[in-house]
Amino acid sequence: MLKATLRSFLAHKGRLLLSALAIVLSVAFVAGSLIFSDTVSRTFDRLFASTSADVTVGPREDFTSQVPSGEALTVPASLAQEVAGVDGVEEAHADASVQNITVVDDRNESVSPTSGAPTIATDWYLTDRSPVELTSGHAPEGDGEALLDADTADSKDVGIGDTLTVQAQPGSFEVKIVGIATFTTTNPGAALVFLDPKTAPTMLLGAPDRATSISVTAASGVTDEQLKARIASRIGTTDYELETAAEQAESAAEQLGGFLDVIKYVMLGFAGIAVLVGVFLIVNTFSMLIAQRTRELGLLRALGADRRQVRRSVLTEAVLLGLVGSTLGLAVGIGLAAGLIRLMSAFGMNLKSADMVVSWPTPVSAYAVGLGVTFVAAYLPARRAASVSPMAALSDAEIAGVGRPLRVRAVVGTIVGALGVAALAGCVTATETSTSASLLGLGVVLTLVATVIAGPLLVRPVIRVLGGAFPAIYGPVGLLSQRNALRNPRRTGATAAALMVGLALVGGMSVASASMTASFDQQIDKTLGADFVVQNDSFLPFPLEVAEKVRATDGVGLVVRQRFVPVAVRTPDGKRLQTTAAGYDPRLDDVAKVAYEQGDTAAALADGHLAMSADYAEDHGVRVGTVLPVEFPDGERTELTVGALTDQENAEGFGTQGGIYFGIAVAEKYVPGGQDSALYINAADGTSADRLRPALERTLEPYPQVKVRDQADYKELIRNQIAVLLYLVYALLGLAIVIAVLGVVNTLALSVVERTREIGLLRAIGLSRRQLRRMIRLESVVIAVFGAVLGLGLGLVWGVCIQRVLALQGMEVLAIPLNTIVAVVVGSAFVGIAAALLPALRASRMNVLAAISHE
Amino acid sequence: MSTSAVEHAPGHAQAGGTAARARALTKAYGSGETAVLALDSVDVDIARGRFTAVMGPSGSGKSTLMHCLAGLDTVSAGQVWLGDTEITGLKERELTRLRRDRIGFMFQSFNLIPTLNAVENITLPMDIAGQKPDQKWLDQVIDTLGLRDRLKHRPAQLSGGQQQRVACARALASRPELIFADEPTGNLDSRAGLEVLGFLREAVDDLGQTVVMVTHDPGAAAHSDLVLFLADGRIVDEMPEPTAEAVLERMRLFSGGQSQPQTPAPDGTPVTEATDEPTDED
Repeated sequence: MLKATLRSFLAHKGRLLLSALAIVLSVAFVAGSLIFSDTVSRTFDRLFASTSADVTVGPREDFTSQVPSGEALTVPASLAQEVAGVDGVEEAHADASVQNITVVDDRNESVSPTSGAPTIATDWYLTDRSPVELTSGHAPEGDGEALLDADTADSKDVGIGDTLTVQAQPGSFEVKIVGIATFTTTNPGAALVFLDPKTAPTMLLGAPDRATSISVTAASGVTDEQLKARIASRIGTTDYELETAAEQAESAAEQLGGFLDVIKYVMLGFAGIAVLVGVFLIVNTFSMLIAQRTRELGLLRALGADRRQVRRSVLTEAVLLGLVGSTLGLAVGIGLAAGLIRLMSAFGMNLKSADMVVSWPTPVSAYAVGLGVTFVAAYLPARRAASVSPMAALSDAEIAGVGRPLRVRAVVGTIVGALGVAALAGCVTATETSTSASLLGLGVVLTLVATVIAGPLLVRPVIRVLGGAFPAIYGPVGLLSQRNALRNPRRTGATAAALMVGLALVGGMSVASASMTASFDQQIDKTLGADFVVQNDSFLPFPLEVAEKVRATDGVGLVVRQRFVPVAVRTPDGKRLQTTAAGYDPRLDDVAKVAYEQGDTAAALADGHLAMSADYAEDHGVRVGTVLPVEFPDGERTELTVGALTDQENAEGFGTQGGIYFGIAVAEKYVPGGQDSALYINAADGTSADRLRPALERTLEPYPQVKVRDQADYKELIRNQIAVLLYLVYALLGLAIVIAVLGVVNTLALSVVERTREIGLLRAIGLSRRQLRRMIRLESVVIAVFGAVLGLGLGLVWGVCIQRVLALQGMEVLAIPLNTIVAVVVGSAFVGIAAALLPALRASRMNVLAAISHE
Repeated sequence: MSTSAVEHAPGHAQAGGTAARARALTKAYGSGETAVLALDSVDVDIARGRFTAVMGPSGSGKSTLMHCLAGLDTVSAGQVWLGDTEITGLKERELTRLRRDRIGFMFQSFNLIPTLNAVENITLPMDIAGQKPDQKWLDQVIDTLGLRDRLKHRPAQLSGGQQQRVACARALASRPELIFADEPTGNLDSRAGLEVLGFLREAVDDLGQTVVMVTHDPGAAAHSDLVLFLADGRIVDEMPEPTAEAVLERMRLFSGGQSQPQTPAPDGTPVTEATDEPTDED
């Protein structure tokens, strides 16, 4: 039996190759993402472990915010002396190291990494833990000198003697590069500027007696934990946060982890799509192989093989396929990881691929995914193979399974579909975001399953319509291809399902993103009243001096600053809300259209007052006049009175839950180190916006990180943010299509083989090769378009539901991207044509006589 | 409307002349030492308006002869004409068009496209050619074959005999110059077989068609006007106005390992000695 299995496996290797490819792709993405993240975290664990101080004392941060305020929290520099007095401390150093800066060269171009990695300015303090060494020039002395890291110097073409401008929170200053520091460890991709330790605190923190942290070196014989405990007992932990080297490495890795997780999830998303679509491909391949071998299997049964043996034989083939696919996938995954590591290097993160880490979970999960997918996918076909009766060997039935009624599918499909529709209906009518989102998830899964199950039932009606014009346009060739597509609804349905899944996702996501874009556009139209907005491309805070320079620009009438402040507010119902509030200059009404349910802008921005979203206020028992205790990150506290309640649709987006804002004075008082996040600018009377714009652009030339935008530019900026999401979706779509095409090729190739005699007959009675190719191409097109129509239909329903969930977040416009939909349908027809290329060629090359006498 | 249909209007008036002929037709499989001759320099004339049967034991080359005459197979040497057109040397595309427009086919089995119903199968060659069938002629063919009430049936819904009648109707529908029938009764029971042979006879007698039928059944061959006997790639004999008994008698000469006829041919056709080269055909 095993011999028969192996023979059959080898005999069908061509057909199995396509299935194996699907497995290879899914396993490669799983393995690649694991290897990549293992390698990167191992590298950085080592880096942080080797460069962290034995114990680090930093400011205690009660809470953090998703939206940066631009402030660097500090501790007194004198703390270093205090810590140095602790028993077991060999050395304590006050660090001045900040990331809230921009460094600009003499051509007004930023030297920051393009990857989004931070630019760090720090004091030049060399220890044996330093990740860099001075490779040329000399150490910086005084406030006019600095070192630059070698990688940045290289990529930005900066050398010794060049001048850079450091835009720090206290103010910009110029430094001359007097030396180059080179990484001795892995460069995580950051740009580093080193200053004289004597002047660094003043230049970066605005005070000579402050430090961002204290780095402590333990005397020999004292462990990090012991030392941490001793220091803690001396200085207390209410104001300070103490971390050992290990803890520091861990939290540093965690911060980096966020970025790595994104890559990991994207890769796993690809793996998921590959698995999902691959399952259809494998199910279909095995079903077809078994249908083709019905007589052979019947003969085996007639000769005495029992059902279990037949089933096991098929499953053994599946396991073999899975093993081959997983092994190849693992190899491709290693290549993929190497490619990603190289890509990271291109972004400035230097990882040596020689250090690639393949830990044991990688091959285990690779084989688990590969074997699991194949086994699960082959199980149903294997059962069907086992149910082949010995009589099948004798009968001349065309293909088993063609005529089997689809009643079970109809019943199950209807039930699952009804549940899915009910869940989606619940999602649309729900008023709570969390309920709505989970119902959405459930509905999406159920409707997808239902469509896959009921797909073959939809083949007849849908393809009758889709291919309805074929006979009229292409004559008998069109008629034949339409009928061929209808011939085996199961096969057509399963083949199209692979494409359907991918397109359903794209349909849903494109409706969601189009709706988001349209909603933001509408929001901007509704709320933004300013002529111009000055903002950082990545929404990071920028130096205070920008506002001053803009104010001083000719033709500027009004400048309203926006400054973000992380706050924690305790509402009367006892809930502690951690969010980001905004501070504004008084004449907010002139640059923004804010709708108030109660109160007005003057009341909201008045000293000691704040405004809150009316919806949030209502839910948490807040009224106008309620006094709210407010905390700030460094532990400062105050009480603010609710002066106004706003009726803002979008008040709760982007980590600004509660929609809280107040006068900028509050921000200046409690977060003195904060920086502006946006400037809203109106032209002065008599100056046209068109004339003001070039003037503003000139003013902002030394600040390459910020840009002037009018409403149209601003919409574009938001649109681009959403587009990133969409590009990812398109990449996923690409992968899904590749695998789906493999499925269509597979199905067509098999159909061509099965219909050899029919093709021979058609050729004998005068069908030309070209007509034959067209017949196969049209069949392929109609299958692909069927999948696209089903997928987009499902995707549109999902998209509408997603939009309803988003509407609860204030994004109320529903937009259907018609262009995308038309493009996808047309594209799917091309997918069909591409998939038919080889099978059609093969069919047209067939020898007529051999085909007619084919058994 | 095809030219052939105009030229070959129904009726006996068109009888006479040759519908197809071959000269020194040779078909070899393989090459060099291992070459196997399926047809060995065959000369043959197919009379127009007649029903010709080609008989011979398995491997005699009868199917190869038909395939070469029909332009389904290429020849190794010699020439073949359909009417006045020399088909040897035609390109694949021209051969396809020739088959489509001027030749009708019936095969032993799998004659019909399973996805098309009876009438769609019947008109398929003309549909492929983009021609409108001659409705009057089509009606006549359909009624002659008794298919009127089966037109909307798919092949799977028809009996074997009915399927062959549909195939016969398809072969007749475009009024081709020549109809080739390859063992058309091979898969049928005797009653259905007789029916199909009766229709082929009618096609020749009443509709003025030319039919070449390959068979190994003497009973079937007896329905023809002329039987050509093939053995080892050569035409060894022919018998006009055959009867089943006479054909059977003649065939017996081939069996029992004898590859050489015991009696000379009744007419002037040169009877050549059969070679002992085997054929791997059939």
